[in-house]
Amino acid sequence: MKRMRNLLIGATLVALFAVLGAGQHLLQQTAQAQAAGAVMAPRFEVDPTFPKPLPNGMYQGQSIGLWVDTQDHVWIVHRPDVLDAAEGAAQQTPPTAECCKSAPPILEFDPAGNLLRSWGGKDGPGFQWPDSNHGLNIDNKGNLWMGGNGGSDGHMIKFTQDGKFLMQVGKKGVTRNSLATDQFFQVAEMFFHAASNEVFVADGYGNKRVAVVDPDSGKVKRFWGAYGKPPDDAGSLAQGAYDPTATYQHFRGPVHCAMVSNDGLVYVCDRTSNRFQIFRIDGTYVREVYTQRDSRGDGSVWDIDFSRDPQQRFLYVADGRNQKIRIFDRASLTELTTFGKGGHYPGEWYSLHNLSTDSKGNLYTVETYQGRRLQRFLYKGLAPVAGKQTGVAWPTGQ
Amino acid sequence: MPDAHVLKFTGDGRYLMTIGTPGQKDGPDSQTTLNRPAAIAYDAAANEVFIADSGNHRIVVFDADKGTYKRHWGAYGEKAMAEGGGAYDPNAATPSRQFRDVTCVEIARDGMVYVCDKSSNRIQVFDKSGKFVKEAVIAKNTGGGILAGSFGVLNAAGSVWDVAFSNDQPQRYLFVADGMNKKVRILQRDTLAEVGAIGSGGRYPGQFLVVNSVAVDSQGNLYTGETHHGKRVQKFTPGK
Repeated sequence: MKRMRNLLIGATLVALFAVLGAGQHLLQQTAQAQAAGAVMAPRFEVDPTFPKPLPNGMYQGQSIGLWVDTQDHVWIVHRPDVLDAAEGAAQQTPPTAECCKSAPPILEFDPAGNLLRSWGGKDGPGFQWPDSNHGLNIDNKGNLWMGGNGGSDGHMIKFTQDGKFLMQVGKKGVTRNSLATDQFFQVAEMFFHAASNEVFVADGYGNKRVAVVDPDSGKVKRFWGAYGKPPDDAGSLAQGAYDPTATYQHFRGPVHCAMVSNDGLVYVCDRTSNRFQIFRIDGTYVREVYTQRDSRGDGSVWDIDFSRDPQQRFLYVADGRNQKIRIFDRASLTELTTFGKGGHYPGEWYSLHNLSTDSKGNLYTVETYQGRRLQRFLYKGLAPVAGKQTGVAWPTGQ
Repeated sequence: MPDAHVLKFTGDGRYLMTIGTPGQKDGPDSQTTLNRPAAIAYDAAANEVFIADSGNHRIVVFDADKGTYKRHWGAYGEKAMAEGGGAYDPNAATPSRQFRDVTCVEIARDGMVYVCDKSSNRIQVFDKSGKFVKEAVIAKNTGGGILAGSFGVLNAAGSVWDVAFSNDQPQRYLFVADGMNKKVRILQRDTLAEVGAIGSGGRYPGQFLVVNSVAVDSQGNLYTGETHHGKRVQKFTPGK
C-alpha cells in the first residue's frame, strides 16, 4: 500500500513538472508574440474524452441548452422525443434492438465527464413541461431555468438541481404577443444577471424581444425590441425573406440569446439577421455587429459567451450555420479569428447551438438537429492568431 | 435509375469494367444483371469476384477481369427466388430458406465464404463453390424497418450488416457490424460463438449510430463506417 502511494506521488510529481514545463513554454511563447505585436486570442483544443458515454443505453437527442455551474458541472437540456426508430430501437413496441432509449432531458456531468443527475420531461403539480425544450441557465441560488419553443410554449420553468419544481412564469397555449407582461412565446434562452438580480430572457422564436424578469416573483419588469425600441410583432413579421443588403428595424429572430457581461452590457442574438445587438441593462441601444451577413437559413448568431478573465476581453459567438466559433475582441468588437468546421468528428459541429465556459476558461458546446452532442474544448491560453479560419481545434499533444 | 451494377476502377480512379446494367433487373437467375449489389469480395486464387447481390437474394460469382458469369447460389446454397425471405419473424418455426438482404460477402484464408443476411440476423458460411457449411443467428429478436427522412431511405433492420476477420494467420475471430444494436460483435470464427463486443449506441467517439461496415488492417486495427446520421469512420486499436 505504502509503495503504491509513493508510486502515485511520484506520478503526480512527474505530471506536475510536465504541467509547469508546458506552462512556462506557453508563457514564453506568449511573451515573444506580444513583444512582436502579434494579435493574441484564446486558443482551444477539443477534448475527445469528454463526456464519457452515457450509461444504461441512454441516447441524447437534439441538444439545445447548456450552462456550467459554479462547481464546473456541465448541465445540458436536450430533446429526448426526437429519437428516430434506429436511435431509439430499444423503446419501440416491441423493442427492435438492445440499444437505445432516450436519456431524460436534463443531464448533469461532472468535470471528468461522468453523468450525475438526470431528470425531467413530464408535467407536474403546478407546472407544464414545454413541448419543445429550449435554453438552460442557472441562477445564483443554483436553480435551473429552462424555456421551450414548441407551438404552444409561452413559459419558463424553474427547478432545484434535484428537479424539484419551484416556479413557472407564463403558461402554455398562448400566442405571439411581444408586449405581454404575463407570458412569453417560445423562449430561446435566459441569463441570470447577479448584479441586478434579474433574468434576461431571449424571447424568442414567437415573440421578438428581450424581456427582463424578477427571478423571485417572475414579474416582467421591462422589455424591448431591436435598437431598443418597443417590440413590434407585425413589423417584425412583415420584414419578409432575408436580404443580406437590408438593415432590419425589427428583430427577425429567433431572438436566441441575451447575455449580460460583467460591465453591464446585454448581448442579444438576432439569429437570422446574422447580427447581435448590444444594449445597456435598461434597454438603451449601444451598437450592433454583423457576422457573415450572407448566411441564409438558420443564420449565423446562435449563442454568445465571454472569456473568463475579469474584463471578459473576448466574446465567443456560436455560429451554427457556418459551423464555427467566432472570437471577438469585446472592446473593439473586431472578429479576431474563428475555429471549427462542419462534421461529426471531434471538434466539428453539425448545427452548433450553444456555448458556455467554465471557471478554467474551457469552452463547452452542444449541437442540435443531427449533431446531438456535448463537446469540451480545453483552454490553452492566449496564442498569436493564426488566421481568420483555423479549422478544427485538434489536440496538439502539448 | 435503380442501381443494378458493379464498377471496377484502378486505384487512381481510371474506369475498367462494369458488371450488370444500371436500371436493368432480370431476377436471381440472370447471368448478366444484378439488383442492388451491396458488397464485393475478391478471390485471388481463382481471380474471381463474389458479389452480394442483395435484391436478388444471392451470391453471384464473376471472372474478375472478363466479368463473365461463373455461378450463383441462395441461402443454404439453394436456388435463390425473386421473392426472397419476406418479412422477418423472430418466432417463425423454421428459418427462411431464402436470403432477405445479402449485405456482405467475405472470403477467409481457409476458403470459407461468409455472407451477411442482414435482416434475418444471421451469417451463413459456404465454401467457394457455394456449398453450405453452417450458419449462426445473432440477436434473434433484432427487428427494425425502413426509415425515411432527410437522409434518404435506410433499411435499418437486423444485426448482421458486415463482417471482417482478425489479422492473425488463422483468422481466429470474426468481427460483425451490428447496425441495429449499435456494436461490433466479436465471434470465434470456428464456432461462431460470441466472445465479446465493442461499443454502444451514440454519437461520441467509440459509439455507433448504425455501424454499417467493418474492416481490419495489417496491424490488427479495426475500422468502422457508420451510415444513417453516424456518418463517420472510426479506428479502434488492439488492446495491449
